[in-house]
Amino acid sequence: MSQALRQTQQTAVGVGVVLLALGLGVGATMIPSEAGYAGVGPNFLPWVVSVALLICGGLLVYEARTGGFRDLEGQDEEKPYWAGFVWMSTGLLLNAALITTIGFILSCTLCFVVAARGLRNAQGMTDSGMQSWISDTVVGLLIAAPVYWMFTQFLAISLPGLTQSGWI
Amino acid sequence: MDVWNQLLQGFVTAGTPVNLLWAFVGCALGTAVGVLPGIGPATAVAMLLPITAKVDATASMIFFAGIYYGAMYGGSTTSILLNTPGETSSMVTAMEGNKMAKNGRAGAALATSAIGSFFAGTVATIVVTLFAPVVAEYAVKLGPPEYFCLMLLAFTTVSAVLGQSTVRGLTSLFVGLAVGLVGMDQITGQARYTGNMPELLDGIEIVLVAVGLFAVAEALHFVLFEGKVVESKNRMSRVTMTKSDWKRSVPAWIRGTAIGAPFGCIPAGGTEIPTFLSYATEKKLAKGADLAEFGSKGAIEGVAGPEAANNATVTTAMIPLLTLGIPVSNTTAVLLGAFQNYGIQPGPQLFTSSSALVWALIASLYIGNVMLLVLNLPMVGLWVKLLKVPKAQLYAGILIFATVGTYGMRQSAFDLVLLYAVGVLGLVMRRFSFPTAPVVVGMILGPLAEAQLRNAMSIGEGSAMVFLQRPVSVALLVVVVSVLVLPRLMKRFTRKAVTTLT
Repeated sequence: MSQALRQTQQTAVGVGVVLLALGLGVGATMIPSEAGYAGVGPNFLPWVVSVALLICGGLLVYEARTGGFRDLEGQDEEKPYWAGFVWMSTGLLLNAALITTIGFILSCTLCFVVAARGLRNAQGMTDSGMQSWISDTVVGLLIAAPVYWMFTQFLAISLPGLTQSGWI
Repeated sequence: MDVWNQLLQGFVTAGTPVNLLWAFVGCALGTAVGVLPGIGPATAVAMLLPITAKVDATASMIFFAGIYYGAMYGGSTTSILLNTPGETSSMVTAMEGNKMAKNGRAGAALATSAIGSFFAGTVATIVVTLFAPVVAEYAVKLGPPEYFCLMLLAFTTVSAVLGQSTVRGLTSLFVGLAVGLVGMDQITGQARYTGNMPELLDGIEIVLVAVGLFAVAEALHFVLFEGKVVESKNRMSRVTMTKSDWKRSVPAWIRGTAIGAPFGCIPAGGTEIPTFLSYATEKKLAKGADLAEFGSKGAIEGVAGPEAANNATVTTAMIPLLTLGIPVSNTTAVLLGAFQNYGIQPGPQLFTSSSALVWALIASLYIGNVMLLVLNLPMVGLWVKLLKVPKAQLYAGILIFATVGTYGMRQSAFDLVLLYAVGVLGLVMRRFSFPTAPVVVGMILGPLAEAQLRNAMSIGEGSAMVFLQRPVSVALLVVVVSVLVLPRLMKRFTRKAVTTLT
């Protein structure tokens, strides 16, 4: 990673903290201050947190602009593999979108297969033909189904199913 | 001998077949979780928090405790056999353990760490048995001002002292406190930062934050950066120790326990300091041929001492958790969350109000240690096989468990989107070396600290002077300030000394 890119990224992190602080500050103005005997009300800690984060964010931006974050452990230089990140993100978000319609088992298996694809590609396993798709699907089902049964049947914790039977 | 009667009663409760089974499953699961990379005890307990809705408090606390210290046993197996330590606490074990394993002494390293863990865990449990009730008795006398100062101390140590950078540690802490603010104010019932969404009135789930920060972030980090990392695995050898191994290990276990146990008792958290201290002690005390093994062939004392220190710290960390309700690590913070799910607030009253639960939990620590010794000595080969699980399927599988934990808690698909968002946040934090423990501790301890602060201020009739009028709280404040200032001063002095010398 080049020095300039790192500086930009670190500055962005610092600015993010500052923005969070400002957001919390705006929110704090909307909280009433009925302090009672204590002298400090429900809006006290929100203000403390907001101001503290503002200071921290400011310091982070300062550190980023003057040579980078301090005491950073030897940052790994390897390049990020964004395609894998996209695969995994897709899997997780698909799971969130589909879990109530197609049920826990199918939705989680789908998430597993998609995420595993990203992970396999990240490891540079390019020879993955039909076989690895099938094996991932089977393994995904073998994890998701028993977990589902354990939670719904033994622990009576409701997870969404495709049917009402509690088995699929 | 009231303590022994109560402990005996605890053994009766913990010894029922059902509770024994929970303890066993917890220990086995904990060992597995410790062995597997990418998933730690905090994540595992967090993912399983939904069971608190159905399983009774005693059984689930026994179960969670089993996971908690089971992971410490399992973690050392990975750090000895792989070149990548799973938990921060096994980093020190990895230094010498790995060298021993490379020289064909993996078995001896595994044996000394398992037996050392057992020894330290048992001694530390005796410490818990004897001292927790005493601390609780004393803690009853503490008022809100003292509690607030204690929590302040926990916040300070977890964010500013441990970790590399104070600024980043404090940023994490305040982010955690901000997350803890969401929901209904404990004292006035005022809604804060809920954006008029009724789902947020109860606050943000611990499961969601913990699982997102640890599990999802870990998986995302792996797919982005670690796909090409090649691990070297050491060969297993027979798990036995020679006579000289024993002779060198026993004193190291005792010293490690003596160093580790006090560290768990104080709300200053973290196993890094005691394990490093124990390592340094062993290296200093070693002579001749034994000393030459440090850093070259791998010295057995360098595994035995830190492992014992690690387990002693982890076990005695139960004292501040149970008697004061103050967690100082990720896992104890999540354990506190589990208590809260039952409407139980750990603290001095716990020993009177839920005495059956507490003593069953303490008894289960003794039982669990024996189970873990059996699980980790004769059966270590079984756990080693877990290291063969393909990484792609391991991390993808972790995502399924993350889904169960998060969805099972509140049955909301929206939480899964939040889970992803927290995962991305955790990824950014990891990338820029922000510690995650302060987020979790801040989120869980924050609301409690706020309530104590406001109660304390009410006692002082609105004046903050109340913190300076009570001797204990003044003493604690002095400790907080010195904890913040001393390391910095020392750093400056040494730097000055170095520059004048050169």
